[in-house]
Amino acid sequence: MSARPAYSLRHRLVWLLTAALAVIWLFAALAAYQRAHHEADEMLDTQLTQLAETLLAIVEGGDVKDFVKELHENAHTHTVPIAFEVWREHHHRIRRLVTSAGHSGFDAEIRPGFAEISHHGEHWRIYAVTGKDAEYRVVVGHAHAARERLAREIGFSVLVPGAIALPLMAFAVWLGVGRSLRPVDTAAREVAALDPQQLKPLDEAAPLPSEIAPLRSALNALIGRVNEAFENERRFTADAAHELRTPLAALKVQAQVALRAQDDAGRQRALAQVTAGVDRMTHLVEQLLTLARVDPAVAPSVATLVDAAETAAAVCAELLPLARQQGQTLEAELTAGCRIAVSPAWLRIALRNLVDNALRYAGAAARIEVSVTCDRNGCVLRVADNGPGVPPDERERLAARFVRGESDSEGCGLGLSIVARIATLSHARLVLGEGLPRADGGHGLAASLHFPSTG
Amino acid sequence: MRILLVEDDTLLGDGLQAGLAQSGFTVDWVRDGDAAVAALSTERFAALVLDLGLPRRDGLSVLRWLRERRDATPVLILTARDRVEDKVQGLDLGADDYVLKPFDLDEVAARLRALVRRAHGRPEPLLTLGEIELNPAARTVTRGSQTVELTGREFDLLHVLMQNAERVLTRRALEEQLYSWNDAVDSNALEVHVHHLRRKLGSEFIRTVRGVGYMATAHPAGA
Repeated sequence: MSARPAYSLRHRLVWLLTAALAVIWLFAALAAYQRAHHEADEMLDTQLTQLAETLLAIVEGGDVKDFVKELHENAHTHTVPIAFEVWREHHHRIRRLVTSAGHSGFDAEIRPGFAEISHHGEHWRIYAVTGKDAEYRVVVGHAHAARERLAREIGFSVLVPGAIALPLMAFAVWLGVGRSLRPVDTAAREVAALDPQQLKPLDEAAPLPSEIAPLRSALNALIGRVNEAFENERRFTADAAHELRTPLAALKVQAQVALRAQDDAGRQRALAQVTAGVDRMTHLVEQLLTLARVDPAVAPSVATLVDAAETAAAVCAELLPLARQQGQTLEAELTAGCRIAVSPAWLRIALRNLVDNALRYAGAAARIEVSVTCDRNGCVLRVADNGPGVPPDERERLAARFVRGESDSEGCGLGLSIVARIATLSHARLVLGEGLPRADGGHGLAASLHFPSTG
Repeated sequence: MRILLVEDDTLLGDGLQAGLAQSGFTVDWVRDGDAAVAALSTERFAALVLDLGLPRRDGLSVLRWLRERRDATPVLILTARDRVEDKVQGLDLGADDYVLKPFDLDEVAARLRALVRRAHGRPEPLLTLGEIELNPAARTVTRGSQTVELTGREFDLLHVLMQNAERVLTRRALEEQLYSWNDAVDSNALEVHVHHLRRKLGSEFIRTVRGVGYMATAHPAGA
């Protein structure tokens, strides 16, 4: 089951970087364009003033005709065609002396300086200048459209290298991102090549960028844990098979003894043993099933706030008849209101196993005390007996699967490992210690579950 | 044949004791490694049936201890572990045979007989001495072509004597091999069984070595 990837890091990086570059580039280009446009305007304005001053000087010198001719001949050298006219005011009469070719003349009422005017439906930028005593007046102008065309050309010429640079930059981004992300591909290939049957950690020595190295470390830690779980599972299956063999062997042998028995008494006895063997195997299989159920992968536990005293009381009530039947005393000292966060079913299984263990191994006429206490550090559920007890160096071993106590020949060695497993999964601690005092001065066994405070 | 059974599982031990007794063995049963060592250091058994997973001292450790003191008692291992390494380790430490749980009682009995037979250096299953032939598996005895009816104890005594033919066995050695700890041994029970055997098989067949014990022989004194 592979979900569609949310997005590609490579695509996202390429797109983000390229888009950012494009936006920045666009603003820069706009600014450059405007700058170029402005420069072009200024240049053309300078051209206009220079031309106007020159014309005025020439007109005042009286040599107009030749200059105009020259102007007309050189008109094509101007980037923007120039229109001009020269006026003379003499004895309060204004007369136009010269106009540029094909020019119909601007209005007479033009003040000195720059102006934008409309002339025959066209926009013009004109510059007027008057000579001394305001006798001569020179007006020069550029058609706005032509000026604009030039300014735009200059502006665009600035943009061209930028336009070529943009795809190049995008390509560079793509290349750079691709190269930077190559370790991710390599790591992905390594992970893909992992054999689920034989998970081996990835090579920690291989160089990886600091962003991906933690992922590899985390993955290796996970692989370690998975391997441990696998190994545990494998060992458990093997152990379980072995543990089933002995009771099966006993059943078969007893059945064969019954078959071969010559007398009724012998046959009856062997058959009774067969029944006992079936009971024992039933217990073993039930405990195996319980152990399998106490597996978060099989049935996720729902931890709720449980009153430990209530559960303990229920378990004691359930096992009290068995205790009476075996001549044992089962007492409970329960502090109400001790709340622990745990799956109710698991707590019940754990407590039941502890009490059941005590009933099984404490011996006839033993006293078993179940207690629930709590303080601000947490809650302790304790099952103590005055049975034969377990030497301290042996206690730790007992919680392992299929390990039985010295005196135990009937149990399946799973009870305490079930409790230990529940404790681990419920963030509690299973502690085996000294139990109730015996008449001979020794002590029985006490098993307690320490739950952390829920507050 | 008296064998020592070392098995910690109550039900299996009980069944094996009863079943092997049905097959004609005299079975002493101990439940842990230390008890096995204690029994083996003081008494002789025709064979040892050893479980590996034992409290206090595991089966392999008992086996190692046994072989280190150069005790050649045949050892049949009972185990739930079926990995080749486990078998190899057991056999290398000096076990003679290996039976995987669950097993068949008849098979265990047959293997035990084979082990005891080989331990006495005999490849053939039948014991013969003169014209007497003993079949340990079928628990039958013939003299010439005639079947001889023996009680269980008589058969066991004859079996031990014939296994050690032409050798003198002390009373104590005989009693050790014939009686388990649970058997109340009458002080002159052995003489009674010898007397019955002589009556059924011929008086010259079992010779009394005064003050020492008995010997089965094909060469009667004075012949």
